[in-house]
Amino acid sequence: MRKKLAEIILAEAKKDKKIVFLTGDLGFNAFEILKNNLGQRFINAGVAEQNMATVAAGMAYSGLKPWIFSIAPFVSIKIIEELRNDVCLSNSNVKIIGSGGGYDYELAGPTHHALEDVGVLLTLPNMKIYLPAVIEDVTKIIKKMNREKGPRYLRLVRSRKITLSLNKFEACRQVLSGNKVTVLALGSIIDKAIEASLRFKGKIDLWVIGEMPFKPTQKLLNSIKKTGKLIIIEEHVATGGLGQHISLYLHKHNIKINNFIHLYAKGYISKRTGSRDFYLKESGLGVESIISKLKCQMSNL
Amino acid sequence: MKINLHRKLKFKMLQIASQTNSRHVHIGSCLSCFDIIFQILINEKKKEDSFILSKGHAALAWYTILNYQKKISNKTYERYLSEGGELGIHPSSLFSKDIPLATGSLGHGLSFACGLAKANLLKRKKTKVYCLISDGECNEGSIWEAALFASSQKLNNLIVLLDKNNFQAFGRPTEVLGEAASKEKWQAFGFNVYECNGHDLKALHKIFNKVKKLKNDKPNIIICDTKRGKGIKEIEDKLESNYLPITSEILNRYEKKIS
Repeated sequence: MRKKLAEIILAEAKKDKKIVFLTGDLGFNAFEILKNNLGQRFINAGVAEQNMATVAAGMAYSGLKPWIFSIAPFVSIKIIEELRNDVCLSNSNVKIIGSGGGYDYELAGPTHHALEDVGVLLTLPNMKIYLPAVIEDVTKIIKKMNREKGPRYLRLVRSRKITLSLNKFEACRQVLSGNKVTVLALGSIIDKAIEASLRFKGKIDLWVIGEMPFKPTQKLLNSIKKTGKLIIIEEHVATGGLGQHISLYLHKHNIKINNFIHLYAKGYISKRTGSRDFYLKESGLGVESIISKLKCQMSNL
Repeated sequence: MKINLHRKLKFKMLQIASQTNSRHVHIGSCLSCFDIIFQILINEKKKEDSFILSKGHAALAWYTILNYQKKISNKTYERYLSEGGELGIHPSSLFSKDIPLATGSLGHGLSFACGLAKANLLKRKKTKVYCLISDGECNEGSIWEAALFASSQKLNNLIVLLDKNNFQAFGRPTEVLGEAASKEKWQAFGFNVYECNGHDLKALHKIFNKVKKLKNDKPNIIICDTKRGKGIKEIEDKLESNYLPITSEILNRYEKKIS
């Protein structure tokens, strides 16, 4: 994924000379192409993320388009004050790439996981978050981030294989159509959501959300109204994520549903370490858990 | 003439501080760096150069000069700290393009200045970036991240002013985390280091000339020896200078002294 990212950034930076790429000392075996081709517009800012974020704010003030890169928690939670005071308050044109949303960093452990990044960043003014579902989304997202003015965060995840081909990236995409239960998956967890939903052909109306905050489309609202049953799946803690966002929206707009299930990351229940699948399973985000929740919703007809 | 202007503006700052009757002006810190800010903005800085006040709690000193330069209107300046006014204790980036960064949380300004300086080098602009930090602020780890960045990126267009007034919020730096504002530390971090009396405009001018003439790849820092509450004997070199209002008695005594 990072190699592909480097290619996309390079293509964009060749066209747009204002782009400067800063990395927090990461990119071995991936960003050499940027280092070798961007000249002075590639900066290894060292393991000093706070400085990197505010340097980027200074560059943006001067009219450049700085992109900063590190592992997701180090360019979200670790630098939250820099983002608040120096970037978001003044709607500074800084682009942030957090590598490894959710449990992506697997055995690297809790310090390297990003289970709270979306919630934390969404508290900041002017911030918008992009969550690709598949690698093909990243090209479109990078172009969009570069075109838009203001702070933008890309929650980059490892490339995942999914059994379906998705439509082009947009904030709110329908993946499967069905008439019994509406399922919303936040970005990267779509792989598990698809696998589970395919067991119930024609019954699951499955959507993937790629932007936060987002406004549900009329088509999605119609689906929710029709099924009256909603399942939210996200590789993020309950607070500040998709589940809270959509619930608030439904309340505000007086849309009633009969049944609401929220599946989210629960941290480290057994205190043991493992793969992404290990953590997802513990949180009830594995395919089997999702299937049982779907069954539950079906039997509540 | 500029000496008179300097005296006039300092008095104006004290008048505004006194008008508010507030204990939150941080007048001690404003007085420790007023002369430095005056020298930079009135006598050294060219139009294209930038100035960042990293020690945001000394904002009133900056506002006073910006007001003289007509970048802050009289109306706005006189509404300092008033309900619904534009100017608070710390400068906010929401108000004016002349205040590019909201400072007050210490340890941000130097990184921002590094970003401006790096952008100037990338654009091959010959402009300078001035950044005022404090000795207490050198407690912040981000200051040292920025210092490493400045020297590794060879930001020789960066001029840092260190307002070394030998106080931080609740004690002398030597009583808290130790002396972080030392010549040796900044030299070790790859800076050209100068030392100067931060209340002597002529001495400051001499140092600025030296900095501007020197041609190497290093960023520059001028460690300015200063006193909190400088010029007002009731509060000079006292910790409480940042927590006291300027009473009308103090203001009157000061006015008599300078006239």
